[in-house]
Amino acid sequence: MAKIILTFNKRVIREYPFVKDSLTVGRKPDNDILIDNVAVSASHARIDKVGSNFILTDLQSTNGTYVNNKKVESHTLIHGNQIVIGKHVLIFWESEEERTAAAQATKKVDPDKTMILDTVTQRNLLAKQTTVPRPARREKLGVLSFLDGSQLPDIELVKKLTRVGKSDNCEVKLSGMFMSATAATISRRPSGYVITFAGGRAKLKVNGEVIIGSVPLKDFDTIEIGAYKFQFYQKEANG
Amino acid sequence: MIPAGIEAAGLTDVGLKRDGNEDSFSTDDALNLYVVADGMGGHLAGEVASRMAVNMINKSFRQWLDSGASEDMLFGVPDASLSRIANYVLSSIRLANRVIYEMAIEHEHYRGMGTTVALVHVVPELIIAANVGDSRIYLIRDGKIERLSRDHTVVAEQVEMGIMTKQEAEHSPLQHVLTRNLGSSEETEAEIFEIEPNENDRLVLCTDGLTDLISDEEILQMVLMENNPGSLCRSFVDKALKRGGHDNTTVISVYFTGTGKAKPGSVKKIMKKFRS
Repeated sequence: MAKIILTFNKRVIREYPFVKDSLTVGRKPDNDILIDNVAVSASHARIDKVGSNFILTDLQSTNGTYVNNKKVESHTLIHGNQIVIGKHVLIFWESEEERTAAAQATKKVDPDKTMILDTVTQRNLLAKQTTVPRPARREKLGVLSFLDGSQLPDIELVKKLTRVGKSDNCEVKLSGMFMSATAATISRRPSGYVITFAGGRAKLKVNGEVIIGSVPLKDFDTIEIGAYKFQFYQKEANG
Repeated sequence: MIPAGIEAAGLTDVGLKRDGNEDSFSTDDALNLYVVADGMGGHLAGEVASRMAVNMINKSFRQWLDSGASEDMLFGVPDASLSRIANYVLSSIRLANRVIYEMAIEHEHYRGMGTTVALVHVVPELIIAANVGDSRIYLIRDGKIERLSRDHTVVAEQVEMGIMTKQEAEHSPLQHVLTRNLGSSEETEAEIFEIEPNENDRLVLCTDGLTDLISDEEILQMVLMENNPGSLCRSFVDKALKRGGHDNTTVISVYFTGTGKAKPGSVKKIMKKFRS
């Protein structure tokens, strides 16, 4: 049976076998692994048995949970992993049979064969996550904020492709003698927002440099299109 | 920056280890719609799922495009962040998902079937790229390569959330476990991107049989060295076979050709209908 060995200053304090599907770690008395130390949060971390895997989750603790000297939010444990919580070290230990079984289970998953995550497994994983709400892949929303003293409101870049210019099909309409029909486009790509010069008389500058192709946008970049000046930034999208 | 013309080619190969080819693809130069799909599921189900996805998407997309369908006629709620044509794409993928899902429930021997899909549609002012699963879309522009797709795998999502590092991901046994596909749930959402085309852009759509064996950097080098999209597909498949060909491999290359002003061609004609 897999177990957690609680140690302090390289001395074993106690062993906790996985007699149930989940072990909690924390300072509050209702934890399975109780560590009475100020560096440890009331409910600090949890280890769940999911199939043949053991998954460690940090319960948004104050001082964090570390595995092999790296801060983790969630981590699939392997035999011998050292979990550091405060000044305590918890060692994840599997029996010989479990180690071979784990190795075989890994082998059985033909890594070249594409498969869909079984919905039951996924649902279980999701159900377990509800106690630690961590929304998957929160997208940030790009915003253009006018810098030229005009009273115009910020523009949220909600579209995948935003056109900036004089023409009617532009999402961001700018006026002016020298403004091009479409002066620039801003696209939202897998890597983030990218601005592209679309041609015409109005120059595109990012942080003072003239752009003739495309550049990725970073927070607080300044963008100039003709006589207009904006600042780009990203904010957490609502919902 | 409108491409004057488009040259495209596609190729699929069963590889050296698999009995059947579960990949499907289509290239339609009149419609400028390019689709690859990688099916999964026992017996012939994988093949059926990928073929259905490709056919259904082509059919419903063409129908909506030809009729200039309004957004309320589409399947599911339109996505306000997308152009109308991109909503046709999104909707055609949703519909294909529903049909495959229902077939999988209805017929015992199709149970558990599913497929990925990656597609590109080009109009004079837009490249629309959409994907579900781990088939990919690459854009090669100005000597650089960029993904226009997002892998829907457990590993890729953990990397994006910062739970796993890229190095850990490369060695994870869960590489090919998908979090989304067409066919396994009643509703699924595609990843869609819209970008402005550039006159010498090159696009590559492929299944994981290629990307398991050939890195992004190698793909870039090969695209830059080859001026014929058909020969490019051939060299991609040959390279995958040389490296073991453990899976079915499918690749479509789309090259924008010509310089200067756009000539009124088929692309232009289609576009006119949507200029209102």
